[in-house]
Amino acid sequence: MKNIFKGSLVALALILSSVAAKAQEAGGTLAFLVQPEPPTLASYVSTSGPIGLVMPKVYEGLFDYDNDGKMVPMLAESYEMSADGKTVTFNLRKGVRWHDGEPFTSADVKFTILEVLKKVHPRGPNSFREVSRIDTPDDHTAIFHLDNPAPYMMRSFSAYESPMVPMHLLEGQDIKSAPLANNPVGTGPFKFVEWKKGQYIRLDKNEDYWQEGLPYLDRIVGRFIPDASTRTAAMENGEVMYAAYNAIPNIDAVRLKERDDIDVTTDGYSMINPMALIEFNTKEGPFVDPAIRRAISTAIDRRFMIDTIFFGYGKPATSALSSNYKATNLHAEMPNYPETGDVDAANAMLDAAGYARDGDGVRMRAVLDIIPYGEDWRRAGEYLKQAMGDIGIEIELRYEDVPTWLKRVYHNYDFEMNVNYFYQLPDPVLGVHRHYGTNQIRQGTHFVNSSRYSNPELDALLDSGSKEPDAAKRTATYQEIQEILANDMPVVNLFELEFLTVYNTELKGAYGSAMGAYGSFREAWLED
Amino acid sequence: MLAFWHRYKRNRSAVFGLVVIVLVVLMAATADFLYPFDPFRLAGKPLSAPGTNGFLLGSDSLGRDVAAGIVHGAKTSLLIGLIATLVAVFIGILFGALSGYYGGQLDNMLMRITEIFQTIPSFIFAILLVAILKPSIYSVVIAISVVSWPGVARLVRGEFLSLKSREFVQACHTLGMSDLRIMLREILPNCLSPIIVIGSLMVATAILIESGLSFLGLGDPNIMSWGFQIGAGRTMLRSAWWVCTFPGVAILITVLAINLVGEGLNDALNPRLRERN
Amino acid sequence: MTRSSKIFRFVLKRLLQGIPIILAIVIINFFLLNMADGDAVDVLAGEAGSATPEYMAELRAKFGLDQPLPVQLFVYLKNVVVLDLGYSFRHDMPVSELIVDRFWPTALLMVSTILLAVGFGILLGLLAAMRLNTWKDAVITVFALITYATPLFWVGLMMIVVFSLNLGWFPTSGMENVAAFYEGWDRVKDIAVHLVLPTITLSLFYLALYTRMMRASMLEQYGQDYVITARAKGLTERRITFVHVLRNALLPVVTMAGVQVGALIGGSVIVESVFAWPGLGMLAFESLFARDLNLLLGIFLLSSVLVIVVNLIVDIIYSLLDPRIEVS
Repeated sequence: MKNIFKGSLVALALILSSVAAKAQEAGGTLAFLVQPEPPTLASYVSTSGPIGLVMPKVYEGLFDYDNDGKMVPMLAESYEMSADGKTVTFNLRKGVRWHDGEPFTSADVKFTILEVLKKVHPRGPNSFREVSRIDTPDDHTAIFHLDNPAPYMMRSFSAYESPMVPMHLLEGQDIKSAPLANNPVGTGPFKFVEWKKGQYIRLDKNEDYWQEGLPYLDRIVGRFIPDASTRTAAMENGEVMYAAYNAIPNIDAVRLKERDDIDVTTDGYSMINPMALIEFNTKEGPFVDPAIRRAISTAIDRRFMIDTIFFGYGKPATSALSSNYKATNLHAEMPNYPETGDVDAANAMLDAAGYARDGDGVRMRAVLDIIPYGEDWRRAGEYLKQAMGDIGIEIELRYEDVPTWLKRVYHNYDFEMNVNYFYQLPDPVLGVHRHYGTNQIRQGTHFVNSSRYSNPELDALLDSGSKEPDAAKRTATYQEIQEILANDMPVVNLFELEFLTVYNTELKGAYGSAMGAYGSFREAWLED
Repeated sequence: MLAFWHRYKRNRSAVFGLVVIVLVVLMAATADFLYPFDPFRLAGKPLSAPGTNGFLLGSDSLGRDVAAGIVHGAKTSLLIGLIATLVAVFIGILFGALSGYYGGQLDNMLMRITEIFQTIPSFIFAILLVAILKPSIYSVVIAISVVSWPGVARLVRGEFLSLKSREFVQACHTLGMSDLRIMLREILPNCLSPIIVIGSLMVATAILIESGLSFLGLGDPNIMSWGFQIGAGRTMLRSAWWVCTFPGVAILITVLAINLVGEGLNDALNPRLRERN
Repeated sequence: MTRSSKIFRFVLKRLLQGIPIILAIVIINFFLLNMADGDAVDVLAGEAGSATPEYMAELRAKFGLDQPLPVQLFVYLKNVVVLDLGYSFRHDMPVSELIVDRFWPTALLMVSTILLAVGFGILLGLLAAMRLNTWKDAVITVFALITYATPLFWVGLMMIVVFSLNLGWFPTSGMENVAAFYEGWDRVKDIAVHLVLPTITLSLFYLALYTRMMRASMLEQYGQDYVITARAKGLTERRITFVHVLRNALLPVVTMAGVQVGALIGGSVIVESVFAWPGLGMLAFESLFARDLNLLLGIFLLSSVLVIVVNLIVDIIYSLLDPRIEVS
């Protein structure tokens, strides 16, 4: 494993140098869409989407990841892993300075991992759970000591997932409320200048960036435009040049794609793996019986949802795991996931399970909650209402605001079924386990096992899946996991979302990283 | 009555407005006959242009019939407008009548309460009420009523103030009529005409507020209304203009017609204007 | 008593009367907002991705959200008395700073909207009244009503499509050109250019109100005894209209405009949303869904204070303009 990573680092260094040989033009301002306005800029406390769009330009990680998932050296130049996988030594880049002039050292890395990410980051406690100690023999070496091998940890060193933050501005303070949050000081290619609430965030070029000649842009401005149609108009008018994470609605993206000066890509989301799904309350209410949940999964025309709501962007789910895990041989196709739905089969399943229709043709009534993140999800709810009507389940839709919805689903468990989407992230341990494990039934914690599904057999498999270093054995484990989940269906996966990035073709070099919009944009440049 | 109609029909645009409203009401009443199915039904090919695939006014992104939505939505939009107005007028009359008739401390107190509701920025307050009561047709009606009644209260109070000192009211007192009877039987009928005018305009405003709330995603997701259609179609205005333009036009025509009628009523009921015509 | 001391006492009395109203507004909204499910911490944690209940409890304690409601209210009111609007935990900034930041864009949009709507409204209303029940009257009435009845967001978007995308005259949205960051006079010009479309859109909505008011007000004045006297004296209709009727008819329209400036401080959520105008309306809207209680209460408080103050000023001006009206 160590050698594979080592080799890829060399390959990447080559790619990087060849990229640098092209004729970039320096200068210019890139205005792009940030939607919605972020609540804070503390990317080490919050993984809120819009923060990810802005902060990786200011803070950097130890590594970046290219489109093939290979590691690109950033603040760390290389690493070595011991044979037992329990000691990882990082060789840090020399001569890197924070935006305030202080040097970046191994002490910053140790502090960031142990005191910040492991304690206050939403996913850090999971990513770095095996890290028990970090030694810093000198300013440019950090040695991580792990209790158990943690292969997934090596996937979480990006600027978005694990930003390195300055110890000298946080030490001795309450990390969550330190003033660094909204006056960020990083090592990245751009410096934070100003956040004008309701309007924009302005970042200016870091003239002392460690990589000679980078960044190309003089300035990056993230604009907030609340209305989707106006965002599209601003893109058409050239007022903004880059819009990721469906900031431009798909229907407009499809239209804009036809223009010469605008293009659309689905690249840059492979580390995210978003999955649309329905969570069921498996403890009380109408969906306690897995047979009903299987019937619902069978009845849904996933292709129709993708084509009508997302205008063709997306892949029908075929299992509890994203098909993007095929790269690591973890994904397997499962029954009960017909692409265009099979209403007759679903009805037969419900008949067989003894759910008879009443005089109005209704077998049962239920309330469907909808994730309050925009119009697309309302459409999804409206489609599901119709589809479930076809199999005799009469649905009432409920669309509440974010705090009400979060409280209902993750705190009060006062729901029957809930349309939602989860990021499955680059490894199931990071993004999928939180959905199904008994230890993930954590009342009051958002985006975990709200179905309250508990299966000791599955728990054991999840546990071995997270620790198993052998690839073939891991594949077998996840095969079993997927079989159990396809049968019990505590969650019905709908489709893998494909987010769109819409960009002006004058903008070059913003797409090289697997992090996409969550990347640093240090190699982005504008062609006249 | 006949004389009133004669005065009313002199205003041709008011007659036009009345005709339009009658047509809209007819449309709403016969919705189940014109389109005898659930307007949310996925009826055919999504985003069909008007006149294609059997859709008179086109279909939306899920393949729902826009025309069916407009016909069924008419019922909802009119009902929301009417009920919200009735509630607001009721509260307004209650406050205004008590305030104007009794005066003194009661007047003072009731008017302070009215001022409170007039001072809060109304659209944001409506949004707040819907968000707190959870989006549904009931919360929309409640929110619209709550932000609309103060105007009625002030109007009614003014009318009661001026009417209560009139001779016929004094006569009723001498006859020993109860206060309630005097208010309901004697004074109220005499200030009905301005109430009717302001009420008719409130129906139009209520329909507009409902569409504004739906635009912001605060409508009832289970009931077809024009506001719902606009909310569902607004992001595709550029690609599929018909999805939200037709319901928008429906709102426009209805609100326009109601306003024309209101204006006609005003002219016909206002004695001072009569002299000039 | 002299006139000026009368006015002073009047102002004092009205301001004192305003205090319980503002208090009531704050208290009503405080309890309404607390009736809603979820709080600021839920929203922050939800956005952050995941947070433990312990962390959320810690945040609640920090924000003071773990206190009983009456205590929270008491603390809030105590601070308001010394003009401290509290802290927005979501924005990590004092509420007063946030509000001041958004107040100027709001005021800019509102004042220009009112000026435009009132100006055109007076003109159209006057024309309609002078040509009562002719086709001109009908056209003006219908035009004003159409602009009123067309959904605002539709007008806004069409403005963007026509004037930004097709003609390229104005930017689509925002308040400043973020590629340029102009300074000095260039910045003023830049902001003015950004202001045009939202102002026109919003004033179209209010145009109907002023047109109708002006028309009705003119007709009202035409029916007054002094007009009959003037006609009897043989003055021309023109002279009657422009010298006598117009002046009197303007009074209620201008009063209404004054009142609206105050009421509009809450902003127009829809126009601000369509044009990404950084006003108080959007701020209030967002803070509602983020359960940013202090901020929302602050906006309500400010707008009600403004309504009361502007109403008062209008009344004073009114009494100065028309000596027949006594301040009382």
